[in-house]
Amino acid sequence: MKVSKWSERLFGTPLFEPLVAFSYIFPLLYLIVFLIVPVLSMLLIAFTYDGNISLHWFKSILMDSYYIQLPPQGEFAQKLTTSTGESLYLLRGLDFGVVLNSLVVAILVTLLTAILGTVFAFVMARYNFKGKNFFRIALFIPLLVTPFVNAYVIKQMFSEYGLINYIFHEVLHILPFRIKIDGLAGVVLAQAMAYYPIVYLNAYASFINIDPTLEEQAENLGSRGFHLFRTVTFPLALPGIAAGATLVFIFSLEDLAAPVVFHGDPLAKKLMSYQIFSKFIYGLGERSPEIAALSIIMLALAVIAFLGIRKYVGLRQYAMLSKGGRWKPRISEPKPWQTLLIYLVLLPALLITIFPQLGVVMLAFSERWTTTVLPQGFTIDYIKEMILNPDVRRFIVNSLVYSGAAVILIVLLSITSSYATSRFKGILSPVLESIVILPIAVPGIVVAMGYFYFFSAITPENSPLNPTSLYGFNPALVLILAYSIRRLPFAARSVYAGLQQVHVSLEEASMNLGASRWKTIIGILLPLISLNAFGGAMLSFVYSMSETSVGITLGSINMAQAPITAFMKEVLMSAAGSINIAAALGVLLIVVQITAIVVVNVITKQRYSFIGLT
Amino acid sequence: MVEVKLEGIVKTFGETVALKGIDLHIKHGELFTLLGPSGCGKSTTLRIIAGLDFPDEGHLYFDDEEVTYKSSSERGAVLVFQNYALWPHMTVYDNIAYGLKIRKLPKQEIEKRVKWALELVKLQGYEDRYPTQLSGGQQQRVAIARALVVEPKLLLLDEPLSNLDAKLRLEMRSEIRRIQRELGITVLYVTHDQEEAMAISDRIAVMNIGQIEQVGTPKEIYEEPKTEFVASFMGKTNVIPAEVVEREGDKVTVEFENFRLDGLTYKDKNDKVVIVIRPERISLHPIENAVAITGKVDLIEYYGFFIEVVGLFGERRIIARTINDKDVAHLRPQGEVTFYIDRNDVLVLPKQSL
Ligand SMILES: Nc1ncnc2c1ncn2[C@@H]1O[C@H](COP(=O)(O)OP(=O)(O)O)[C@@H](O)[C@H]1O
Ligand SMILES: [Mg+2]
Repeated sequence: MKVSKWSERLFGTPLFEPLVAFSYIFPLLYLIVFLIVPVLSMLLIAFTYDGNISLHWFKSILMDSYYIQLPPQGEFAQKLTTSTGESLYLLRGLDFGVVLNSLVVAILVTLLTAILGTVFAFVMARYNFKGKNFFRIALFIPLLVTPFVNAYVIKQMFSEYGLINYIFHEVLHILPFRIKIDGLAGVVLAQAMAYYPIVYLNAYASFINIDPTLEEQAENLGSRGFHLFRTVTFPLALPGIAAGATLVFIFSLEDLAAPVVFHGDPLAKKLMSYQIFSKFIYGLGERSPEIAALSIIMLALAVIAFLGIRKYVGLRQYAMLSKGGRWKPRISEPKPWQTLLIYLVLLPALLITIFPQLGVVMLAFSERWTTTVLPQGFTIDYIKEMILNPDVRRFIVNSLVYSGAAVILIVLLSITSSYATSRFKGILSPVLESIVILPIAVPGIVVAMGYFYFFSAITPENSPLNPTSLYGFNPALVLILAYSIRRLPFAARSVYAGLQQVHVSLEEASMNLGASRWKTIIGILLPLISLNAFGGAMLSFVYSMSETSVGITLGSINMAQAPITAFMKEVLMSAAGSINIAAALGVLLIVVQITAIVVVNVITKQRYSFIGLT
Repeated sequence: MVEVKLEGIVKTFGETVALKGIDLHIKHGELFTLLGPSGCGKSTTLRIIAGLDFPDEGHLYFDDEEVTYKSSSERGAVLVFQNYALWPHMTVYDNIAYGLKIRKLPKQEIEKRVKWALELVKLQGYEDRYPTQLSGGQQQRVAIARALVVEPKLLLLDEPLSNLDAKLRLEMRSEIRRIQRELGITVLYVTHDQEEAMAISDRIAVMNIGQIEQVGTPKEIYEEPKTEFVASFMGKTNVIPAEVVEREGDKVTVEFENFRLDGLTYKDKNDKVVIVIRPERISLHPIENAVAITGKVDLIEYYGFFIEVVGLFGERRIIARTINDKDVAHLRPQGEVTFYIDRNDVLVLPKQSL
């Protein structure tokens, strides 16, 4: 064989090896064709006016007080009187205009979750207290995704006669009046309650990974208490906290479930995600440049946040000073005021944030939930209906098939891309490495719109692959592609971590003994990373099942082939069925998620690796 | 069995030049050792010979065939990795049988050969264990068996003893020597331990910062080091900067700190030199034809079976070694001491800028 300078530069192998080249080219092309090109194809539309390149659409958005409203309008809280004569404070938030509303909501949610997540993480990482195991498990509960229905439960909890008023006003008399949270305030609340465990997990990992000798040294030099936390512990954990918070920022920006649930209040509709969504739904078939421009603005915000955190965390790798060995964590008994904080503040906060998931389960097993504190009347009719009614079952089957197909692609993409980036030093390695996690930074609704423009442009008119087709669009392929792109980062991270634990010499020994690269991958590498691949596959399967943005837009064009989430949205927006059936589907998703967590835990004997950015 | 030739092998990793042009000739059935400090390029050389890395320049031949860019799997130069690289998901049997299965040998033949290899490394009965259930020394034997079972043309060992404790190291050292003699294969051995290299090798190449400093038998390397680096790397020795004051053929007289010694030089024509004197060649009692120099006793150190006397000559410390108690009986700290040094034991080498 002859050396090839070209192969060495691109792929890092002096001898051209088709298999190595494939490991680079396949994921690279896949992501370029199914992520970058569709998203960029929107640029074309957004920057065109009257056949010319123009900033027209961006200008018209940014000049319009509907999109940018300064100073903000409305009252943050309104004092009303209930039918029984009690005073009621209605919290809705201020209207800054669509674009700024999204930004303000995302920033508020990020701050709230950062504070709550960090406090929980610090307490869990550093203190021993009764009920700690309950905390540990309960903190995972808000992470169980039940699209729409958990936001629905939150809306109920914070309504006029909901659980919160019942406990704090009627029973404990802490609140002298009733409160009701709606509009943008409701969106902030719902998102913060669902997302704070993401910061918690990242922050917890950071606190645990701080070399205790660093803190001991500081103590030794006379620093203690809050000063120690502020000067040593917190700065060391900050990159992890920031990574989690950035993820929350992006999730909040792209979230559709909370605005859909609170859409009864027109203020909740004034968010970018909802605007793109509703303009798409009501103007179907129209390739609106305004939607494209709005999508680009949203994408820009997410990408800036994403690149910012990558740079920041990259600069501060010192946070994870793990020098191989595991150390004894610094765990102490809480002081009296800390004990009070744990049981009087954190415990109630935890109970409130896990209630939505409990509420979803109750809702699935009850007859109705109107103005009462809890749902009323036990029944298993809705569970039965979900399983027996072919119209509902169809959505489940659709979701299973799409998610299953997506996972096959994800596993293939994760293994090839991680193999290429972890084993070879071609100039394409850093490119591939970045592009594989890029989907985290692209809001789901942006992927959906990109696909809409892309597929309607490249597929024949009226073919089942064309979303504007008059004869019935089949979303199967589009959904599978969207799931495989959007959930790839979860599995890729897991597989990459697995490959890093396998020393390269194990593969070299195999090839040195005469095995080809293919045989080495099959016989040595795959068996050694199979658990990581399996864990990653489960994770991406679970999150494909609950994927919302693409599912409720492109996926709901043709309800015969729609996924679960499209049906759940129909229920919430048009009362197409009862909310209880959506809750039953929520329970199904919870079961799938818990099963996955348990199976991954048992089989891989690893901690359930969750969402992280780095 | 194969003869290996390296010609002008150069290898860089980004900015670092790992190998600056290596020429080597390893003969049939020889146990040849690359010896040098950590980071000098030994593993890189080995990996290039194994086909796991490719050189930027130069040529590599097995017998008369050029194999510079032949892929590792086709080369038949089998490497035993420093960390053994045993596959944790396979039993000892499967690890050893792997290369045979790749070669598609019939099942019975595989069984026979694995059995033979296990006997060779004295691990009969361990077939069904997993690598994690073995001690370090056993793992190392499995790694060697796995390499030998495919009947390699060339066996490459990368610091095979560095992960073992001292006692096991001695044991495995003679094992490796025994197996090599028994099979008569060509072995390229890498170590940073000069004593190990001396004990095991037919010939040694001493490496320093990507270059070969000297090639020779252990005796040649030890007794006639050609460079200051080789001299100082081969065990504790006295290296003293000096100046040539008289020269007659290869016989010279050198001066340091107002002391004069007679010595031998091979080729050096410079006047700035270093002299190398092995501690055990310095006598503490008068001997024939020796030059005597007198200094002060700085330190006397007891090592058990030998004693070292550190003498202070001007500012310069020189170590002498003796196994005879009587030699030091009369010495007192800060008292006078006389070293007797034969011309043949004073090597005069070019001064190296290290
Ligand atoms: N894959 C690599 N990438 C970058 N530098 C390397 C690599 N392998 C070796 N080097 C460098 O090349 C030099 C020689 O390394 P090596 O051959 O491993 O030395 P030795 O085995 O003698 O200790 C060292 O400076 C080392 O840092
Ligand atoms: Mg080495």
